[in-house]
Amino acid sequence: MGEIKQIKNLKEFSTSVERFQGGHRLCPGCSHSIIVREIVNATEDDLCISTATGCLEVCSTIYPFTSWDVSWIHIGFENAAAAISGTEAMHKALARKKKGYSDKPMKFIAFAGDGGTYDIGFQSLSGAVERGHDFMYVCLDNEGYMNTGGQRSSSTPVGGATTTSPAGRVSYGEKMQKKDMTAIMAAHRCQYVAQVAPSSWKDLVKKAQKAYQTPGATYINAMSPCPTEWKFDPSMSMEVSKVMVDSCVCPLYEIEYDPQTHNYKYTVNYEPKNKLPVKEYMALQGRFKHLFKPEFSHVIDQWQRDIDAQWDYIRRRQDAGV
Amino acid sequence: MTEEHLLKGWEEFEAGALLFSFEGDPSQRKFHENNSIHHSVADWRVLKPVFNEELCIHCQFCWVFCPDTSIIPKDKKFGEIDYVHCKGCGICSDVCPTNPKSLVMFANQTPIEEALRNWPAKDEKKKENSDG
Amino acid sequence: MAKQHRVVWDGNMAASQAMRQAQIDVVAAYPITPSTPIVQNYSQFVADGEVEGEFVMVESEHSAMSACVGAAAGGGRVATATSSQGYALMVEVIYQASGMRLPIVMNVVNRALAAPLNIHGDHSDMYLGRDAGWINLVANNPQEAYDLCLCAFKIAEDMRVRLPVAVNQDGFLVSHTAEVGEHLEDADAYGFVGDYTAHNPMLDPAKPVTYGAQTEGEWHYEHKMRQNYALVNAVPVVEEVLKAYSQLSGRDYAPVECYQTEDADELIICMGSVVGTTTMTVDRLRKAGRKVGMVAIRLWRPFPKEALAAAIKNAKSIAVLDRSCPMGTTGALYNETAAVMVENDKSANLINYIYGLGGRDTTTEHLEGIFDDAAECTKAGKRVKPIIQTINLRGKSLSFYE
Ligand SMILES: Cc1ncc(C[n+]2csc(CCOP(=O)(O)OP(=O)(O)O)c2C)c(N)n1
Ligand code: SF4
Ligand code: SF4
Repeated sequence: MGEIKQIKNLKEFSTSVERFQGGHRLCPGCSHSIIVREIVNATEDDLCISTATGCLEVCSTIYPFTSWDVSWIHIGFENAAAAISGTEAMHKALARKKKGYSDKPMKFIAFAGDGGTYDIGFQSLSGAVERGHDFMYVCLDNEGYMNTGGQRSSSTPVGGATTTSPAGRVSYGEKMQKKDMTAIMAAHRCQYVAQVAPSSWKDLVKKAQKAYQTPGATYINAMSPCPTEWKFDPSMSMEVSKVMVDSCVCPLYEIEYDPQTHNYKYTVNYEPKNKLPVKEYMALQGRFKHLFKPEFSHVIDQWQRDIDAQWDYIRRRQDAGV
Repeated sequence: MTEEHLLKGWEEFEAGALLFSFEGDPSQRKFHENNSIHHSVADWRVLKPVFNEELCIHCQFCWVFCPDTSIIPKDKKFGEIDYVHCKGCGICSDVCPTNPKSLVMFANQTPIEEALRNWPAKDEKKKENSDG
Repeated sequence: MAKQHRVVWDGNMAASQAMRQAQIDVVAAYPITPSTPIVQNYSQFVADGEVEGEFVMVESEHSAMSACVGAAAGGGRVATATSSQGYALMVEVIYQASGMRLPIVMNVVNRALAAPLNIHGDHSDMYLGRDAGWINLVANNPQEAYDLCLCAFKIAEDMRVRLPVAVNQDGFLVSHTAEVGEHLEDADAYGFVGDYTAHNPMLDPAKPVTYGAQTEGEWHYEHKMRQNYALVNAVPVVEEVLKAYSQLSGRDYAPVECYQTEDADELIICMGSVVGTTTMTVDRLRKAGRKVGMVAIRLWRPFPKEALAAAIKNAKSIAVLDRSCPMGTTGALYNETAAVMVENDKSANLINYIYGLGGRDTTTEHLEGIFDDAAECTKAGKRVKPIIQTINLRGKSLSFYE
């Protein structure tokens, strides 16, 4: 196990040796790279990373350039977890045979979008986690298939307009509830799962470090505001992220599973002093614009009830300690 | 955009279409020609951030939230803007907590001196924000 | 020659033992009939402490091949096994394995592809992966399944090759048929395969590497042609490895194997377990004075064009056997043979037989019938049979392309 890198404040963090370079082709203002930088720069251990097909993969390794200063592999859309499970198994095998390439600690990460996680990559993620490979899985959750032009996924929230759940004369957009992936991963008995947002950098870095230190598979659901498909100005990414957190649309919380007691411990890591209405979050984004028409106002009302209930539920779990 | 010097013949590429990050020992940080640090995305930019040293409190919000690794810190202080990789998204300016801001977006062709001369005044309505 | 031990092994056990002896670092696999026993045997080796490497029991074949790719890119020896539907599920990733030039070894126990579902042997899965850029060897009995699996590691990992290798064996007829055979001692087998040679391992922090970049218009063609160059030029390496193995084991192998071809007027070209039956048929007809012979394809990809041209040069009529339904054209092995003939200005009467689908029996009588058809063509001095015929199919006689 490597030393935990000391990151008390941003000044200290800013001395990091950068591990993800510019020159990639992600859209201006894309949150994916902000999250990636916060995660890979949170450790000094060596890294092996797999990435599922999607915006991050496509934009960071367009031949003849790579933006990664650490070893990295992309195979397909649905197998980021399986790929890294193989690399991690190789690491274990070579260490056992005393044929390893290095004695220093090595950490393994899989990055995938919500398409590569909630949908097409769900099986391979479930398998790799169940097998207990020692890696951190990070879902870059922008609530849609953005790399292919913003189609719906099972993470798209109700009312969100996407290119395959568009709003129209008779439709308010997406009809299905967003899957609760974090709870699903907790149910895999991962010892550590958490939700993060890029604007809360300190919380994110702390959770990444916790995941690095936790043996076995860990899961981080990283909400990733996407200026292009959520339809807001690129300069607003961190504003949107903040409002997303302060409206409790993206509660910052973690679930720790104790293999001895089989207890799931919920911790809410941030309680907004002034909880914002979801309307404020929605108003920032073009994908919800149609919901502000009178005939769809019930969708916003329902959102508020759902978000309140979810927020309440997480805090009740925290308070109950189970 | 293709970098002409990298357009090699089939027999010259690394087999398997692999790419490398560094030449030699990574700790020396000599970037391989395949590292995207050698690839300019400056032509994406319509607006550019301009930095005003006088106002900066070196909080590093702009560094941590830059999606393009284009705020280069130096000894825990603001160092410089990397205009080769900055796409002009404006996040750095948006998150900058000083009033007036220490990073302001100007049209890409505006000379730095001119931008500094035309710096916006303090926004009296806005209270300082530093919770990140 | 090395010391050998007599055993009674079926094809699955033979492949499993070769995998054990090769001291693989990572095996990631998923069970499917008829290759399941390979996965089970290997699990037992792990349970008995005979394997030091990792055995990853994944949740699907797609993940099996994905984990193999991740492991091989990590930098060590990797293998797996599959069949049929499992192979089909892997297809996306077997292209990735070869495109990234990863020396993975896969035992493919050949089986039909659904629908309709069928668990028995034919070559539909092998043909499905035909253009995937893997080296494909064909083992016709359990002994060969053992021998070729050992050779596969050496071929795949050779620095001149660095490509994945599939060792095919027929489902049930080879995989589940126990035969007397011989195997090398562990030390000799491992000594032959040798230590793994690392090449751009992800796990080496001294040289971070990116695998699986996106190559658009200006790059893709160059990379695919480089890959094909390596594959086409693997033929001499395959020959070299087979020769070295024959010196060690006394068992000779070649990319194309000829049986009584020198003076034969009629030839059958085939691969897989039917090779054994065809050999017996040739023997029987030779006793009756017929000038017949057989050409067995051992190396399906890269296709050994030169060796096949030499093998068929004296034939007057050639019957090519394909164990997969060609669906809308002639069989793949037939097509290869026709190409070799055109390229060499070789004229002969060429006919194609689709046989053995879903494990349908093919007997010496059937094969005699094929030689009889070929002999009729020889006698007439032209092809007097339809281009595609069926063997042992119930119902009205069925042929295609008169
Ligand atoms: C097997 C397969 N199916 C479909 C695609 C096409 N495809 C590539 S990326 C993508 C969407 C990615 O969405 P997500 O995982 O949410 O990541 P994002 O791009 O939004 O970051 C799709 C549909 C593919 N590459 N492979
Ligand atoms: S579409 Fe969205 S997620 Fe994809 S690169 Fe653009 S901003 Fe990032
Ligand atoms: S965000 Fe503003 S104040 Fe903070 S370091 Fe950057 S320029 Fe200076």
